[in-house]
Amino acid sequence: MRETANQFVKVGWDVTVVNIARESWELDSGIDLSLLDQVDPRVKIVELPLSRDDLETDIRLFDEARALDPNGWVAKLRKRQTKTFPEPNFGEWRGDLEEAVLRIHQEHPADLLLASCVPYVNLAAAWKLWEEAKVPYAVDFRDGWSIDVIDGVEAFARDSAEGVWEQKILDDAVSLWVVNDPIAEHYRARYPEHAHRVHVVRNGYDADSAPGRSHSPDAESGLVFGYLGTVNFTVPHLETVLNAWRAARAKEPLLANARFELRGHLGNGATRGANRHAEVFKAAEADGVFFGGPAAKAEVSSIYARWDAMVLILIGGRFVTSGKVYEYMATGLPIVSAHAVEHDASNVLRGHPLWTGAPGLDEAGLTESFIKAAHMAVETSDEEHAEAMAHADQFTREALMSVAVKNLVEELAK
Amino acid sequence: MTEVLLVASVRPNLGVLADTVRKFNALGARVHLAGIFQLDAEGVPEELAQVELASAHQLPRTLRHRSQAVRRRLGKAPRGLRNWTQVRGDSWLRSHGRKADVLVALDVAAVYTVWRLAEYNRTAAAKFGLAPALKAVEELKAQGGPTARRSTVLPPLSAVARDVKRSVDRLPAQLVRTVTPRPLMRSGVGARLWRSAVTAPGVPIRVRAATSRYVAEGMQWAGRTSGAALTLGDAASKIPDLQLRADLYYEGVMQELKKGISPRQLGKAVAAQLANADALFAGGKTDDAAEALNRALFLHFHRVLHIDQLSSPLATDAEGFVAPLHRSKAFQALSRPRGRKAPAAPAPTDRPLRLLVATSANDNFLHLIKEHFAGHPGVELRYLDLAANKHLKRISWAAPRMLKDRLAGDTSDYQEEVERLMRPHLDWADTLFLEWAAGPAGMLTTIDPGDTRIVVRLHSYEAFTRWPHMTDFSRIDDMVFVAPHVKDLTASLVPTLRGEQAPRFHLIDNAMDLSGFNRSKPAEARFSLGLVGISQVAKDPKWALDVLERVRKHDDRYRLLLVGGDMDPKTSQATKHYLNEFEELLAPLEESGAVVRLGATDDVPSKLVEIGTILSSSVREGCHVGLMEGAASGAVPVVRDWPFYAGKPNSARTLYPEGWVVASPAEAAERILKITATEESWRAAGELAADHALSVWDWPVVQKHFEKLFLGEERSG
Repeated sequence: MRETANQFVKVGWDVTVVNIARESWELDSGIDLSLLDQVDPRVKIVELPLSRDDLETDIRLFDEARALDPNGWVAKLRKRQTKTFPEPNFGEWRGDLEEAVLRIHQEHPADLLLASCVPYVNLAAAWKLWEEAKVPYAVDFRDGWSIDVIDGVEAFARDSAEGVWEQKILDDAVSLWVVNDPIAEHYRARYPEHAHRVHVVRNGYDADSAPGRSHSPDAESGLVFGYLGTVNFTVPHLETVLNAWRAARAKEPLLANARFELRGHLGNGATRGANRHAEVFKAAEADGVFFGGPAAKAEVSSIYARWDAMVLILIGGRFVTSGKVYEYMATGLPIVSAHAVEHDASNVLRGHPLWTGAPGLDEAGLTESFIKAAHMAVETSDEEHAEAMAHADQFTREALMSVAVKNLVEELAK
Repeated sequence: MTEVLLVASVRPNLGVLADTVRKFNALGARVHLAGIFQLDAEGVPEELAQVELASAHQLPRTLRHRSQAVRRRLGKAPRGLRNWTQVRGDSWLRSHGRKADVLVALDVAAVYTVWRLAEYNRTAAAKFGLAPALKAVEELKAQGGPTARRSTVLPPLSAVARDVKRSVDRLPAQLVRTVTPRPLMRSGVGARLWRSAVTAPGVPIRVRAATSRYVAEGMQWAGRTSGAALTLGDAASKIPDLQLRADLYYEGVMQELKKGISPRQLGKAVAAQLANADALFAGGKTDDAAEALNRALFLHFHRVLHIDQLSSPLATDAEGFVAPLHRSKAFQALSRPRGRKAPAAPAPTDRPLRLLVATSANDNFLHLIKEHFAGHPGVELRYLDLAANKHLKRISWAAPRMLKDRLAGDTSDYQEEVERLMRPHLDWADTLFLEWAAGPAGMLTTIDPGDTRIVVRLHSYEAFTRWPHMTDFSRIDDMVFVAPHVKDLTASLVPTLRGEQAPRFHLIDNAMDLSGFNRSKPAEARFSLGLVGISQVAKDPKWALDVLERVRKHDDRYRLLLVGGDMDPKTSQATKHYLNEFEELLAPLEESGAVVRLGATDDVPSKLVEIGTILSSSVREGCHVGLMEGAASGAVPVVRDWPFYAGKPNSARTLYPEGWVVASPAEAAERILKITATEESWRAAGELAADHALSVWDWPVVQKHFEKLFLGEERSG
């Protein structure tokens, strides 16, 4: 989104971003304010006082019913929220979002509205402005809506409330962006009449997140494996990875004193930093596993610079790419893939010289991957590292988004 | 120093907690943990030791310390409410809750407890989860630490006074609670102010109800039980919604009853329940009507009012007291006599009478009867203890189910269950003799007894309970009373006992074997007063102490022997109050030897040997067995004119011979001093008493009445 806005400014557009309040992001899994530094100063930001009521942790703001049964209260809230727009947790933002875009358009007429999902309720705002003022809109759908990218199945039927909304929105959208080919295929098959408007816009990575220098591992003081990203995988998934890690440490002398460092947001609302995953991390400390909490954007490149290999833990399958894969590639470090064999990340990584391959969520296979990565880390030359980094060059966010924005502007002009 | 109080209902991950507590400590905070989970479960103490807590406290883990009614009511309540009810009285929690700068719920079931604590500590941050709590501590640190807030937490009284009436309808509950804290409610002005606020005109119903509950809660915390009850009652009086009105009155009077206080607004509370019951009944909602009626009866005959104190509204104006019940349509449906299809068959002449003697656990007065008829050639005896069979026990005391059945026109599954369980017994028996006219009488008369003759004995306490009102006496053939005044009282309460369908009445003394009591007494027994049975408030042993002190003024050789177990303070708050007062009076007397507690015994006759004067100090009795046994032993009876019945056509004065009964402790002392003035006069009076007892109350005399009752004139004896 940041890069999209910057690219629009770059091609001479006036850009206004409608966002929710910073405190509301804080309620969620946390906020990295350093990201704002990279927003072009010409971008106007309108923050709406919207927040996710379900994540509220200030008990003083609870009414008695909520205090008595917090989960029951939230369940009722979610049900109620979907009456306004078929999306739990966000549905009730609809009115405010619609009002905001109408107001902004009134003050400063817009030529295009780009709705980024999630949340999908943003689509309602796009539709409102189209309905009321015929402002064209495009949808940056990321992982799509009618496809459940994790399980690879249809997320809802065509005649469901969501299905009706999606059809309505896509009928008039100028362009539809998704993050990978499998999702694009899903949309082209579901809406053949709009196939030509479906575009793959990969997530890519920020060039400044890459350490950008050659690597020198110190096996004697212990190799460091790393994971950076939101902890969104399941506990069994995590346990499989950690079991493989333990087995590899026991088997491979190179890993005997190795560490596995994980950074990122963990849990949200009341369970932030203290969910079941936290317990698993805590219990694995004896095996050199360390969870260090969220990392600010500014720290990212220095964190990567400390690490000797990457562990790519991803949910889902062929419909999921994740932005992480591009950033990991750009580190030029060996990559252990801890995700399904049939995963879009595998497509992206194919050809990467320091990739251990994807054995799937198989403990023995992952154990071998860790061992292989350890050897790669100490045995690979600087040239090979440089080659690995170069493999990622095609995926810098700037490169991808500049093309996407250019194409969208052209499409609009048609 | 920032104080953080963590509340956890389930065991948190202690490793993660240890990390976070280190972060709290690094920010200069002291962390306390209050756990509802088991703090001493296996492995927990070791792990807790690794957490750098300032203190860890075990909160009550169950509701076992609360009454059964509370536990039942909370059975389906949200977990959070159950937890709060469990822990709210914990002084550690209250004290740390008041002092905390940040209150933290670690899991969903702890949220309500923190929410409530936050109402009594209005400046503390109240957070759900460790990360938000840590952030709150960081923010406090950034502000320069917690402010000295505790002295300024109360809103100025004048501000409350100015705003309260006009704004109470707009106040959210939380705000209401913040201005009804304990210190304010402790002041009479604050409490009165709030009471007037809940009756302010124009307040929406729900707001009025919610406000009154919060105000009452504040008063409870401040120790103003009756104030809390009055507040709820005042609010109830302004609420037209029958259910809500009844609920508020109920909550109010229950607060007082729980503390052993006779509620001032009991009549209104009962009337509200009855009005609600009537409306529901008229609307065909018989189950709901039965619930309301059940509550009305529960309140009207609560033991605090009738059993656990020295008087009862039934003693002063029995008919007036039950009149509101009889005006209720729902109650009328309950008490409508249904009669029986066939009259009881006459006793068989060609075979022994099949006699079924039934009771629910209490067979104190049945031994001689059972023994006698077990060996009687004209009787085939069976004995049924309803409490010994779990199915029978369940139906015997199921008041709500009985009411639902009665209001639904005898169509509920209760009816079927009683049929199934009791019919085989009824089919076998020619005569069923039910001891005690309590729950089982209500149960039994739920069904038509066929042609079995039903005989029920009512002793005394039952008249002060709801049960006679839930018994269909038109299905009972014979009522046995142990004394005329009990018969009078019961008949005055229940119209069916006065009408055409009333059972036959019999007055038969309790069955007592007095033969072993008449033993010779030593001379020094002349100065020993005795009281047998002190385990209930109604025995009023304080009266006996008064008498003792009066006689000791003349001669300090007099002493008082107390025979029997003590009152159980757990019975009720009212009992506890009485017992405390009694013990206080007793302590110096016991120390000086003026009173000797002999405790519970199986051998009353031996104890009576030492007793020269037997007292009946009770406020009410059916027939006072201890006194009668004392008289049989040759002790001189001195009977208080039981206040519950004094002045009525039948009372202690008509039950016992002229001269035994006294109007006051002074008169009692006078009688004792006069009769025990010489050994001769004392022994003569004792002999007369023993003669009377043995000739009127001894089992050989009384058994004839029972034979006549069960077998008729011809076959008895």
